[in-house]
Amino acid sequence: MTAAPGMRDLAHRLHNYEADAGKTSEPMESPTLRVYEKLRQSLGEFVGVAGFQSLASRALTLAKPEAPSLSAAQVAADGSLQGLGKIETQIDMDKDQAGEGGIILIARLLGLLRTFLGEALTLTLLRNAWPGEVFDDRNSVHGRKA
Amino acid sequence: MNTQDKVKINQLPTGVPGLDDIVGGGLPEFSFNIIAGAPGSGKTTLAHQFVFANATPERPALYFTVLGESAIKMLRYQQQYTFFDPTMLSDSIRFINLSQVVLEKDLGAVLEQITKEVEKFNPAVVVVDSFRTMVRKPESDMDLQSFIQRLALFLASWQATTFLIGEYAEDELRDNPIFTVADGLFWLRQTAERNSIVRKLQIVKLRGQDSVPGLHTFRITDAGVQAFSRTFGLTGQARNPPSHRRLTFGIPALDEMLGGGVREGDSVLIAGSSGTGKSVLATQFIAEGIRHGEPGIVAVFEERPQAYAERAVSLGLDLETPQKDGKLKILYLRPLDLSVDETMHSILDAVQKIGAKRLVIDSLAGFEMALSPGFRADFRESLYRMIFALTGIGVTILSTVEVDESFTEFPFSTYSISFLTDDIIRLRYVSIDGQLRKILVVIKMRGGNHAKDIREYEITSKGVVILGKRLTNYQGLISGIPVHSDRPELEEEPLQEPGIDSNK
Repeated sequence: MTAAPGMRDLAHRLHNYEADAGKTSEPMESPTLRVYEKLRQSLGEFVGVAGFQSLASRALTLAKPEAPSLSAAQVAADGSLQGLGKIETQIDMDKDQAGEGGIILIARLLGLLRTFLGEALTLTLLRNAWPGEVFDDRNSVHGRKA
Repeated sequence: MNTQDKVKINQLPTGVPGLDDIVGGGLPEFSFNIIAGAPGSGKTTLAHQFVFANATPERPALYFTVLGESAIKMLRYQQQYTFFDPTMLSDSIRFINLSQVVLEKDLGAVLEQITKEVEKFNPAVVVVDSFRTMVRKPESDMDLQSFIQRLALFLASWQATTFLIGEYAEDELRDNPIFTVADGLFWLRQTAERNSIVRKLQIVKLRGQDSVPGLHTFRITDAGVQAFSRTFGLTGQARNPPSHRRLTFGIPALDEMLGGGVREGDSVLIAGSSGTGKSVLATQFIAEGIRHGEPGIVAVFEERPQAYAERAVSLGLDLETPQKDGKLKILYLRPLDLSVDETMHSILDAVQKIGAKRLVIDSLAGFEMALSPGFRADFRESLYRMIFALTGIGVTILSTVEVDESFTEFPFSTYSISFLTDDIIRLRYVSIDGQLRKILVVIKMRGGNHAKDIREYEITSKGVVILGKRLTNYQGLISGIPVHSDRPELEEEPLQEPGIDSNK
């Protein structure tokens, strides 16, 4: 079973949004990590460190069979994602694969939230983490107004 | 100090239907409250209702979750309630998890974390759920009172109305310093009685205003907690002055026996054994009211509204049209574990919706059977409260009650409730000339004169029809086995009472 298309699309939008936003920051962070950290920050406040850690572990377990590039990734006790940065900074050809793996991981995490909380509440929580326009349907796939 | 000098304590809506009345109008603003009770008693749901009723983007609510139910699961279940508005989580309600601080640090760190968040978000409402779990650590006991006092002081200073939620057993109520600090203490109970579950809440304490004392039943439905006040939400409402208006049955001979009809605002009891026509009389009473422009409510427990209306058709009475026109409501009240307070809530709601003047309860036996076993023990007391409340707002109540037919006694009711009723009409079978016939007698009318006659009646396609004159040539009619006497029939004297104005 793969990540639901809707969640993949949402994860894609968040990933692309953070990729654009990350261009201005030095050193450039992995978009997946930026998305993940925002989720950790926002959801961690709400579900606690242990709560987020268990959700993220489950998401990673679900994502690994779909994305072999995540094989080295791990969720630490504090909920942080380890081992992904190395993968995403590898050579260009691998970078796409790693980016796709990150999107699958995020999609799985969002999918879990949707399963537990429903779509409306999940989107509300995500809007708290991304108060801008990333969820506006009129936006481009990059999450920015055309 | 005169009234103008006193500080006005604003009252906040609790968001729980029925609870505002119980707490005396609303929850005092900036109060520090505890919701206590066993797991599953509805504490979190009650707190959520308060939060959703009061949080705004300008003055949000902070909901601190500690150990216990995970925040994800809590929201998963709470969002099923109709009051839960997910859009409020974007700007009006913040859920903050304190479990890490509680697990790794001490109460001082917890207070520091709460202080930081409160100063950051300036909340109007603060909830700590479950507060009990963070004070269970043995090393916390010494700090507990200090922690609670500092928390209460800080949150009141920051103008927040606060709820601490805790799992407590009844015997923990005494000598507990936490409860001393609290301004309000809400105790939720859930008890099993035979196969029924009964939920009750008590306002053990509420500073600054009068709450309704005692145990109030509540129910948790899709809409969340709904409380039913022991005073039925009529606290402080003035009773209607006694009316001299008479309400008729539309049965001329009976209305005459009643001195023109029953007095408006009376409680009328129709007692008789099975098949004597109690429900028929009740239906005629309601139908007559509708004919006179008086909306009515029929609370049935033993048959469905459709069947009740269909039976009325056989008496030439149309109950369908007035139902469609909003002049009549037939309430079928037969859920399991019903409390009198819930029944009253349904009836009062219907009374207010259609402006009902007449209410039929058909029957008291069915009503009692629909109650949870625990409430049946208090049935008389509950009936008293219910009748007092409804007649107080001018509703005329007609209740039917089945009595065991006896040929040695003449009971009015099996509930010893005749003192609750203003008027009693007794129906019974009687053996006359080799036939089982029916007689009717007005036993009591608190508001005036009534006929002492014993009259024979029949139930026909037109309902109850009273036959001929009073039965004068029989002795011992009320025994059910009268003896024919040779006494000549007496001339009937019409009952007269000056100033009676029927249905006007």
